[in-house]
Amino acid sequence: MSMPPVTPALSVQGLRAGYGNGGDIVCGIDIDQAPETVLAVIGPNGSGKSTFVKTLAGLLRPRAGSIAVTGRDVTALSPARRVMAGLAYVPQEANVFGNLTIRENLKLATEFLRGRPGVGPAQRELVMALFPEIAARPKLLAGNLSGGQRQMLAFACALLANPEVLLLDEPSAGLSPKFVGETMEAVVRVRESGVTVLLVEQNVAAALRIADEVMVLVAGRKSLRAPAKDISNADLADLFFAKAG
Amino acid sequence: MIAQLVLNGFVTGLLLALPALALTLTFGILKFPNFAIGAMLTFGAYAAWVANSLLGMPLAVAAVASAVVMALVAMLCDVLVYSRLRDRGSITLLVSSLGISLVLENICRFAFGNATRNFAFEVARPIRWHGLRINQEQLITAIVVIACVILIQLLLHASPLGRAMRAVADNPALAAVRGVERQTIARITWCIAGCLTALSGVLAGLDRAVDPLLGWNYQIPIFAAAILGGLGSPTGAIVGAIVIGLAEELSSLVLPTNYRQIVSFAVILLLLLVRNRGLFGGKAVRK
Repeated sequence: MSMPPVTPALSVQGLRAGYGNGGDIVCGIDIDQAPETVLAVIGPNGSGKSTFVKTLAGLLRPRAGSIAVTGRDVTALSPARRVMAGLAYVPQEANVFGNLTIRENLKLATEFLRGRPGVGPAQRELVMALFPEIAARPKLLAGNLSGGQRQMLAFACALLANPEVLLLDEPSAGLSPKFVGETMEAVVRVRESGVTVLLVEQNVAAALRIADEVMVLVAGRKSLRAPAKDISNADLADLFFAKAG
Repeated sequence: MIAQLVLNGFVTGLLLALPALALTLTFGILKFPNFAIGAMLTFGAYAAWVANSLLGMPLAVAAVASAVVMALVAMLCDVLVYSRLRDRGSITLLVSSLGISLVLENICRFAFGNATRNFAFEVARPIRWHGLRINQEQLITAIVVIACVILIQLLLHASPLGRAMRAVADNPALAAVRGVERQTIARITWCIAGCLTALSGVLAGLDRAVDPLLGWNYQIPIFAAAILGGLGSPTGAIVGAIVIGLAEELSSLVLPTNYRQIVSFAVILLLLLVRNRGLFGGKAVRK
């Protein structure tokens, strides 16, 4: 599994990133992720998970390295251009426009992405079939949705762009345990619809249940990459605290 | 008497509505209070005066020309100043808008001096209706402002551009991921703000006369209106403007008219003490 024979859906080489004049938060990460898999990126607080996924989404300029989606280099592209290239992103928590209605959120998801192949009514129907619960009240302000429903709306908006790769930044953050289960289930549905998912997650147990592979990030570096089934909690405790202490 | 004051207050409020709307739009999207709003109004009035009195255009055409000029000037300010300081925080932007304010005001003073100027415009006799005196300027103000407000509301709530503007105001990073470039939306917002303040400058020039301090007469009431409505809320700015207009006029029942500005200050003070999100600010969902 570590060397897929096909073009990786997401390929990251030597990625370095940080804020302002500070040191690197992401210190040289390489990934090749096979299509239609779920890769969970886990690690202790402050290990650079969110910075890593923000850099992939284009909200932070990388200092070195490259990012490719289905073989196409997207390193130099703006966040919007990356979505056009097939890399969708669901940020942590503030991931819908709270002052816009559900319908407006869904409209905005594709309105400014003209020309992306596969974006249109067919994709809309597919996404609505995946998340039937959000189509029910189109005039509700998205900010009034419950945490779980908001997460579903955020997924739906990202998927409307017909992405090859979906980046999820802590989808379980701020959710009650019941909604964490529902959200993870939704991630599985998304993967089954043919999308490659990179999932950054604080909730290790929930992430391990649905992931194909796991990457452990400690202090901005990859400290382990393994199939999810091979990872035990004891290993993780060692990895998490070995370098952080 | 009271009915006349209410009518005058309503029209004064409408005059404030356009710049208050401009202020609240730029605040929502760029996250700083634009202190150059008064100077933009003055500049717009002078642009219209040049087109009207010096170039001989009819006032309506001159107003449109002034809106175009002010939109370009506002965009130029963004290119030269605001966009370069976008990530420096709201205090830096606020101070830079004070600088822009001085520059715009003094361009007018340098070019045309301190003398008051009037538009070449036939003053018609006021209409009398049930004992009310309605000036032609008041009618023009009401029509122009109501038309602009309807247009802006349509733009914000029924067009892709409006959705994009509200999205950027709500969450710029998420908007960027959705393909909405903040820079583009910021420039368009400045253009709209420029048009609105220029038109209000023409209306203010009709109401009073054009001089370099024209905008300063409105500065505090504009802020009071936008804050009263809840900064960032377009509907709030319009309601806030009308309330301030009415309060200013009705205050003349108990206060000497040259103390009128106290009303706006009092409203700001009261809001800061009692309800600092304004009338409509709380409606926005923050979760």
